[in-house]
Amino acid sequence: MSSSGAQRIGALPEFDELLATGDAKACCSALYANPAVRWLLGDELHPGGEATTRRALELIGLAAGEGLLDVASGTGASAILAAREFGSIVTGIDYGTEAVGRAQSGADAAGLRDQVAFVVGDAEALPYGDGEFDAVLCECSLCTFPDKARAIAEMRRVLRPGGRVAISDVVVDPEGLPAELTGPLATIACVGSALPVSGYRELLVAAGFRPVAVESRAEYAAELAQRVEDRLRGARLLGLDWAAGSPIEIGIAIELVGAARRAISEGALGYAILAASRR
Amino acid sequence: MLSRVCPEHGPLEAVVYGDAERYLEIQRFNKPGQKPLRRQTPSSRGCPHDCGICPEHTQHTCLGIIEVNTACNLDCPICFADSGSGPQEHGFSLSLDQVKSMLDAFVRAEGEPESVQLSGGEPSIHPDILEMLRAARDRGIQLVMLNTNGIRLARDPRFAPALADIGVHVYLQFDGFTDATQLAIRGRPLTEEKLRAVDRCGEAGVSVSLAVAVERGVNEQEVGKIVRFGIEHPAVTGVFFQPVTHSGRFRPDSNPLDKLTNPDVIDAICVQLPEWFRADDFVPVPCCSPTCRSATFALYDGDDLVPLPRLVDVEQYLDYVTNRAVPDPEIRQALEGLWSAKAAGGSGPVAERLDCVACATGMPPELREVAARGFMIVVQDFQDPYTLDVEKLRKCCVSEITPDGRLIPFCAYNSVGYREQVRLEMSRANGNGYGARR
Repeated sequence: MSSSGAQRIGALPEFDELLATGDAKACCSALYANPAVRWLLGDELHPGGEATTRRALELIGLAAGEGLLDVASGTGASAILAAREFGSIVTGIDYGTEAVGRAQSGADAAGLRDQVAFVVGDAEALPYGDGEFDAVLCECSLCTFPDKARAIAEMRRVLRPGGRVAISDVVVDPEGLPAELTGPLATIACVGSALPVSGYRELLVAAGFRPVAVESRAEYAAELAQRVEDRLRGARLLGLDWAAGSPIEIGIAIELVGAARRAISEGALGYAILAASRR
Repeated sequence: MLSRVCPEHGPLEAVVYGDAERYLEIQRFNKPGQKPLRRQTPSSRGCPHDCGICPEHTQHTCLGIIEVNTACNLDCPICFADSGSGPQEHGFSLSLDQVKSMLDAFVRAEGEPESVQLSGGEPSIHPDILEMLRAARDRGIQLVMLNTNGIRLARDPRFAPALADIGVHVYLQFDGFTDATQLAIRGRPLTEEKLRAVDRCGEAGVSVSLAVAVERGVNEQEVGKIVRFGIEHPAVTGVFFQPVTHSGRFRPDSNPLDKLTNPDVIDAICVQLPEWFRADDFVPVPCCSPTCRSATFALYDGDDLVPLPRLVDVEQYLDYVTNRAVPDPEIRQALEGLWSAKAAGGSGPVAERLDCVACATGMPPELREVAARGFMIVVQDFQDPYTLDVEKLRKCCVSEITPDGRLIPFCAYNSVGYREQVRLEMSRANGNGYGARR
């Protein structure tokens, strides 16, 4: 809330058209840059917020002076944290031009202009040469990429030999997931095309990474789902006109989040950090 | 657990907060104190023996209390003020002029005090009570509360309209819905009269906070029902839960190791209304010691209820310790005014601050009114001689105003001997207050 607090929260973006184009990356990028969505999820937009980011960077042993690429950098909060707390030199890449602009303003305002840069780009075709980075961070977004294998191959390509990657993402047990949590809406809500831990691990290994750690953050996913449900209820109670531009009614959204909460408590849905190093 | 050793009486242990982990966790809500405009007494004997406010005190007064009499139309077994209906030892009844000069002392100390409460005894039976309340309003105090048992409100149909005319908020003792509860706490079944009092306020347009004395084994199981009743009644704008303090009409059998404290009440509310509340909806009030008082504001549309802290990151604004980005100062100030001992649901300043928070979080203007009607729930523990901690006392922001113009922190007044001292002085000066005219 600190940065979005004084900002008016408008309607959700009109992303039903984006959905129709089948461009999930553009849709996600637009969705997560929206102030209403940020009000629902919090500025960090992923379970555990800063604590999860910090832990992911600890697991890959990010050191001062190292070059970090933050893939799908969104609001820029994680890149700024990596620069401020770990002293690394950070490049954030995101699909959304607006998000990149705002993230850069945030970094500049934090006095990190020399340490943090944001650029517009595609995770499946990173605009960098081979071996340019010491580490890669990818939070809560791999699950939304249509071609995950290619995105991971790209991460490996831009890492130097021995470089490390930290991925934090939604994890699912496909067999335990209820029917309402599949489909296009679930996809942009990071659930529909998420993988089990073993799925991410296999992708990493196939791309030439050696997994070094896996940590569950399911309890934070439960907290985040609770927060979203509470705020959706608040929006409904206060009559905020959030249905405008949204493909679903607020009542249905509340039910969906409720289903997600139940799935988390049953272990069919969760959140995890995976750390791996480049062979 | 507070553990200490008295050179005369040996060791003593007392429960001060029923959840040790939360006790430590909420210390981050301790806002640095603000100085009052003036102090009334010098420090000579050391805290807590120089009250009034002395230079050792670290906080100004958010809420001033004036006890206008000692006479009452009830004889509650739990009365911390040791009031009653019979002839009283060292009883008194203040004159209108005395109350005016006490209000003036409060204004001198605070500049523009926002809240005052007239109490007793039973203030509604004082013959000049309406003039006293008017005198408080005349001094620009926005929230003028009458702390009453409601008997006069129930019996005298002219009383609630008279309060409405002055602009008084009623702080109504309301302990539950069963005769067993009423008998244990008030000594007499009163449910019907209480309900009539609330209805009369509703008809007259007087807003009401329910003040609930909660005692272990007596009415803990009724707290959820009281909240639900309050939220659904148009006159009621908030509920104040107060674990019964073992001061005053002190029961020698009370066990300091078995005392009900704030987290016990919060947990009882959450267990009885799980669809509405979680423990972390109750955010500590930062102006006093964060263990003294916790509060929440609930938004309700007749169907669903959402506590405000789930929509606004209140903790982020009221955390004075954890190193974070400086939050929006305007929102912080509004939240500090809401999470304060001077606040009562439905009062003008509270509605304004809720509106400010609602505006800052992007609610459309026509709907901010829903937020401005936020229902306030407070859980506030008071210290007794077993639990008295001078560290907390020094930051107390609720003061008893005495006829000689001192401001004495509430728990010191009731647990250190000030009440007895004031009664003795007043009964000598004013005569016995028993038999105040209606």
